[in-house]
Amino acid sequence: MGIKIVPRYGNSFKEKMYLPAVFGGMKVTFSHFFRNLKDTSNIKTIQYPEVQPSDITPRYRGIHRLTKRDDGSVRCVACFMCATACPAGCIFIEATKRTDGIDEKMPLKFNIDLLECIFCGGCVEACPCDAIRMDTGIFSFVKSKREDFVVDKDTLLSREPMKVKS
Amino acid sequence: MDTVSISIVVVNIVVSLLFSLGSAPILVWMERRIAGFVQDRLGPNRCNIGGVRLGGLIQSFADMIKLVFKEDFRPDAIKEKRFFTIAPVIVFACAYLTYMVIPLADDLVIGDRKFIMQGLPFDLGILWFLAFAGLSVYGIIIGGWASSNKYSLLGGLRAAAQVISYEAAMGLSLISILIVYGSIHLGDMVRYQGELIFGFIPAWGIVLQPVAAILFIITSFAETNRAPFDIAEGESEIVGGFHTEYSAMRFGLFFVGEYVAMSAASALIVTLFFGGYQIPWLNTETMKENIDLVIIGIMVILPVASLFFAKWIKKNNKWADENDARNKEANWLIKALVVINILLLVVFGFFLLNELGINGVNIVVAFIQVATFAIKLLLMNFVFILVRWTLPRFRYDQLQNLGWKILLPIAIANIFFTGIFVVVMGV
Repeated sequence: MGIKIVPRYGNSFKEKMYLPAVFGGMKVTFSHFFRNLKDTSNIKTIQYPEVQPSDITPRYRGIHRLTKRDDGSVRCVACFMCATACPAGCIFIEATKRTDGIDEKMPLKFNIDLLECIFCGGCVEACPCDAIRMDTGIFSFVKSKREDFVVDKDTLLSREPMKVKS
Repeated sequence: MDTVSISIVVVNIVVSLLFSLGSAPILVWMERRIAGFVQDRLGPNRCNIGGVRLGGLIQSFADMIKLVFKEDFRPDAIKEKRFFTIAPVIVFACAYLTYMVIPLADDLVIGDRKFIMQGLPFDLGILWFLAFAGLSVYGIIIGGWASSNKYSLLGGLRAAAQVISYEAAMGLSLISILIVYGSIHLGDMVRYQGELIFGFIPAWGIVLQPVAAILFIITSFAETNRAPFDIAEGESEIVGGFHTEYSAMRFGLFFVGEYVAMSAASALIVTLFFGGYQIPWLNTETMKENIDLVIIGIMVILPVASLFFAKWIKKNNKWADENDARNKEANWLIKALVVINILLLVVFGFFLLNELGINGVNIVVAFIQVATFAIKLLLMNFVFILVRWTLPRFRYDQLQNLGWKILLPIAIANIFFTGIFVVVMGV
């Protein structure tokens, strides 16, 4: 094992004077200040509520949606796999008999309490029918009442997948 | 006392008030916007009155209204209620009073009488500043102690430790300046800086006494409790330091007091080292003789500067939402700029066409000098703010090392050499 000698900085006269380093630092901060003052579009900050972010990836876990079959009916078969997998216990399903002959069961109610949800994606992993997805890209949901955060089946069905910009 | 003297006293006090108290919201705004730009972000820019944002300046007024209307809360644990209340008042009043000896313009001669253009017209100058700057730290110590909170007490202790480490170096660095100028009256000092060395270099303090200038600037950072010497506040280590227990306008007084102190310190730095109200190569006498040329110069510079400013506004003042009132602000600002320009041009043109009397010339010169002083003050405040967003905080033993082992010997050596120089050269 060779010995590596690490040079110690801060002992030369110039470094002990502090002032050259101080002025060097002020030069850096001033160059940033001047560049941004000259043209504020150099700043990457977006004016959030007016300008929405454009860099959300398709794998981003936003608000859930329920997918549909080709004929437009609900894909979910009310197997309760997602509700079982959910670590937060925020999915509430009531099953009912499906009468149109496509499948045996369908959800009568499918409620997700967004205040309880931890957005882990466990329900998406657990679903055997690819009926629930989190690809809406919606990251902001603001309501005035607690009850409004419980979203029902119709809302979940009406959500569209995020449009991916190429 | 007649109308002239009363009006001059009132104008002096009002201008001093504007520079000290009125600058607080502007400085807060500058601090936040400059911090934003230095760190590649925007800073406050949304707050508006009918779409007018003035680059975010309105935010300061909104914050001030918020502070005034907040609940004035005092924890029950605080036994020393009187000291707790009086501490922010001491900080604020001291910071404010230091401002009163800064000369805003050269002595104004009206008729056969001379008026000193200061908030309080006397010639104590530096001594007054040192007295009140030293006193303001008592507010911090008392506030920290009366809060009956360990963090606040630590903050107060740190303030006390800080004071003993910088005051000696500060006082001694001032002495070498006093030797050079030969007066403690700030007006005399600024008049001295209107001269030229070798006929072409302005005799500013920073040219005559560069070492003392650096020492004084460093120590005045410590004196105003600003980064890199804001160890009394130390929000990353001791919560909020001395003002942990303060809220609402009590905290507001500490807050405003800090900014007024910063402004006062930069005013003193400008006065001592950067020629005060003097425009370089253009001292009061020269300006009075060539008043027409000066006015023509201003009339040329003002529209050109406004043109660039208007271009900058047009380029940068935008809002993403088309229908928002904030989108119309650029037009309003440019119109206001044009109106101001036309008004000033008309006024200055009037001065040019009509021969001004001696009194009129003196008043116009005083006006130009106050404006010069304001610009220099803003630049110095900018340096204060830029340093805050550049340097990390000193540990307080490091500050004591710096004060006693480095700054103090340099200051004494500086006095020694300045004294020898003055005696040998017989200046």
